[in-house]
Amino acid sequence: MSDKKNLKELLSNKMQRRTFLKWSGAIGIPVIAGGVGTKMLIDHKEESKPVSAKAVEKVISTCSINNCGGRCVIKAHVKDGVVVRVSTDTQVSGDLSTPPLRACVRGRNYRNMLYHSDRLKYPMKRVGKRGEGKFKRISWEEAIETIASEVKRIGDKYGPESRYVNYASGQSWGLHGGKNAARKLLALTGGFLNYRNDYSSGAGNVATPYTYGTNNSGSSFDSLLHSKYIILWGQNPSEMIFSTPYREYLMQAKKNGAKIIVIDPRYTDTAIAFADEWIPILPTTDNAMMDAMGYVIITEKLHDQAFLDKYCLGFDGDHMPEGVAKEESLKSYLLGEKDGVKKTPEWAEKICGVPAGKIREIARDYANTKPAALIQGWAAQRQAYGEQFMRGGAQLACLTGNVGKLGGWAAGTGYWSRSDIVYPFSYENPVKASIPCFLWTKAVEKGTEMTAADGLEGTEKLATNIKCIFNMAGNMLINQHADINKTTKLLEDESKVEFIVVSDIFMTPSAKYADILLPGTTFFERYDIGVPWCFGDYVVFGDKTIDPLYECRDEYDVFAEVADKLGLKEKFTEGKTTLDLVKESVERTRKELAPDFPSFEEFRKNGVHHFKYDEPLIGFKEQIDDLEKHPFETPSGKIELFSKALWDMNQHDEIPAIAKYIPSWEGPQDPMKKKFPLQLISWHYKRRCHSTYDNQAWLEEAAKQEMWMNPKDAEKRGIKDGDRVQVFNERGSLIIDVKVTPRITPGVAGIPQGAWYTPDQAGIDQRGSVNVLTSQKPTALAKSNPQLTNLVEVKKA
Amino acid sequence: MNSTSKPLHIQLQSFLLARKNYYELLHLLFLVPTNDEFLLIIRNYGNLQELEEIHEGGRILRNFFDHLTDEQIQREYEEFHRLFVGPGPLVAPPWESYYRSREHLLFEEWTYQIREQYHHFGLQFKNENNEPDDHLLFELEFMVRLVDLCLQETRTEEIVALISSQIHFLEKHLTIWVPYFCKRIIEHTSSQLYLGAAMLLEDLLSFDLTTLLEVREALSSVRQEESERAIIK
Repeated sequence: MSDKKNLKELLSNKMQRRTFLKWSGAIGIPVIAGGVGTKMLIDHKEESKPVSAKAVEKVISTCSINNCGGRCVIKAHVKDGVVVRVSTDTQVSGDLSTPPLRACVRGRNYRNMLYHSDRLKYPMKRVGKRGEGKFKRISWEEAIETIASEVKRIGDKYGPESRYVNYASGQSWGLHGGKNAARKLLALTGGFLNYRNDYSSGAGNVATPYTYGTNNSGSSFDSLLHSKYIILWGQNPSEMIFSTPYREYLMQAKKNGAKIIVIDPRYTDTAIAFADEWIPILPTTDNAMMDAMGYVIITEKLHDQAFLDKYCLGFDGDHMPEGVAKEESLKSYLLGEKDGVKKTPEWAEKICGVPAGKIREIARDYANTKPAALIQGWAAQRQAYGEQFMRGGAQLACLTGNVGKLGGWAAGTGYWSRSDIVYPFSYENPVKASIPCFLWTKAVEKGTEMTAADGLEGTEKLATNIKCIFNMAGNMLINQHADINKTTKLLEDESKVEFIVVSDIFMTPSAKYADILLPGTTFFERYDIGVPWCFGDYVVFGDKTIDPLYECRDEYDVFAEVADKLGLKEKFTEGKTTLDLVKESVERTRKELAPDFPSFEEFRKNGVHHFKYDEPLIGFKEQIDDLEKHPFETPSGKIELFSKALWDMNQHDEIPAIAKYIPSWEGPQDPMKKKFPLQLISWHYKRRCHSTYDNQAWLEEAAKQEMWMNPKDAEKRGIKDGDRVQVFNERGSLIIDVKVTPRITPGVAGIPQGAWYTPDQAGIDQRGSVNVLTSQKPTALAKSNPQLTNLVEVKKA
Repeated sequence: MNSTSKPLHIQLQSFLLARKNYYELLHLLFLVPTNDEFLLIIRNYGNLQELEEIHEGGRILRNFFDHLTDEQIQREYEEFHRLFVGPGPLVAPPWESYYRSREHLLFEEWTYQIREQYHHFGLQFKNENNEPDDHLLFELEFMVRLVDLCLQETRTEEIVALISSQIHFLEKHLTIWVPYFCKRIIEHTSSQLYLGAAMLLEDLLSFDLTTLLEVREALSSVRQEESERAIIK
């Protein structure tokens, strides 16, 4: 027998010489089973079901409620309580009354998000300085207790206006969500400071109603099948999903023979997929081109005089509101009768960079090819004078009489909606004061000094600055708000905001600024119903697929417990769970809104419901068909190309009564351009939904974070494709890889928005988080975000 | 023919106990260092001066435990969270499936495989489907449980089977992913506790596997002898 095979020899001699077995000291340590470590493996509770049944894969239909304009169907394949893969809607395309709601690259990644190792798993409290990122794990009991006592303490000390639920969109298109849960708790305990408006179409939301009386100026997408000419002005639905099936309709419109023009500083994926022609333009100068198109249309008599006479106020001197001089009319402005400047294509070319001949051609085509749809994206209204862009588009739609007609489009903000469900989770805030959402940092710093001129409504003065912030599933606390360096400094001062609660699924830049940090759930882990932005005739069932992982909790349950601590649980929940809310919504929608709506079980089984209509919804059709009976919701009852209300504000330079080009601060004509020669814009990237998913590796592979720059600009700076560059202005500085490409207009740089602010030791962002470069100066009228108005310089890093 | 030797399970006992102690020590080293009680147990009963002589990780640990202070424990607590808990991106996620899946996800097929192993031995992770089953601590605890089963067993055949299960668990799981896990710790920590623990963990697992393979081979010859004797009788 060989030595090797002899057990005794092995154990008694050979082993004893082995180094590790020389150690014998720890014998007798009382361990796992005995005491110190908790025993985590327990006796297996054998389930009665046969082995074969255990392996069965169950498909559960659900949906995300993030701030994407679409809602896609996510099918979770669940085996033994684990999501093993996701798939999407299998509905075939072709029938446009039930378009497939298929996930894009972002939706395909959801399993990776769910089972990402970086998920926030346990409640935490801050232990270092605020923003430093040091936290200590705490129990839920402690988290709830702290929130309850701070809500009360701050409310008692400063009053309800000191408490604020920040703009947050990570869970925004469902029935409940953290933001609403926090608001309800605050509403039940005295109230909170409201905000108005949003960061998406903020300037437009305030401006468009001055023209049309409403933001609902859009038409349903099926109306586009009748369009012969479509202008997508700064709209990029290939990356920024306005509604899941929108592209399906655009593609069909194109097949039907519509000519599609894309106007954008970048040659976008939309331009590639849909456009017959791409018109590059300098940011902030869209209204110069619009003015010139108007000039061409009226000087060549292509305008619809009858339409303008009947429906519009302020086109020419004969249709002005009382007490306003004739030369203040739109026509007079375009012809330069007052300022001596004719808004010719040659004038515009010098400003916006689009050749005069091209402006003429587009103006003629748009006016002659009817019906035509001028559809505006919202990027160009996230500008210093974004209000002008929104009203300017509407102005062109009116000049050509494309409003209220099948295949036309009224332009402006462009919401449309005809399908709705009931939202049973509600609250009433006893506080009436509200601020524009973009000015929340101002309300932290000097809220008590704000007035109506800052957009304060519902009160003359605020009694207090903001002292307590709930930031639920949102990144506006740091990352998505303008001027990150200014915001971080503000929040680091713990004497200003005294208490910040953040709930999220990952450690975002905003989450770092929490005092109490809560682990939220993904949509897989809760019940809901998902709706698209206002554009779409469908809703998607959000089934709970698995129980919440780790110690994650749905915010509804969190705030129900906080309410319990304060003796208000019954008032908060009204005895309902989130599943009850979903059931109630379905039942009441059937009863109150749509008799055809499926039952809860049917809806759950189908995963989706399409509302069906016999004909397209046409924006303002009622008004155009019968203005007497259906006046526009404006003061005059007409479309106000000239708004007397704006005129009376008496700030004509920045808030004109007609839409017009206003040279922008940090625009191409700003003298600051000598120091910072490049205009910087951002865009909604196909790999993220705003800042959601920035930490997802698959998506970074699909589209990496990089800045676009034209070869001409790169060459001047000795920059090559793939170089790492520094982008800076007086507000901040970031480092990013550069893509040198003719797909962006010379003089313009573009950084995809939403990358997570990742400062190095010196505070220089290393990820390309665009808001270190953007400004908190609000737009003139709406007090909204001008985050695409920036001048910067770029150099090799 | 040596027919007077002690019963097999008695012969194996000190070897098995030594292994159990190692796994329990490793388990203690990777517990959250909130409570200094068990750190003191390691210091007082861990016989670290012996460990120091036989392994570099042991030397580092000895040095660490010799200078254990409250402030030090607080720092280790923070480091533990930075490495293994969060919040935020983890330096060394302590789950097998993170290292084995192409996308570095949790709850991947390896989590299932581990779960099946637990179930096979009548065990179950307490928070099944709430947290992944393949956390380092649970896999180490499982090894302790298997060694315990071995210690209670007297039948040669069963002992061989249990040793095979441990070999399988080491070969197919622990020794595959733990080196990557340890590498991350070693490269990214300045903590002497976790540096020493990671070095010890990695080497001990591969040592245990090698040794178990040899023991199994030796046992198979013992079994052969036994069956030969049975035939002669």
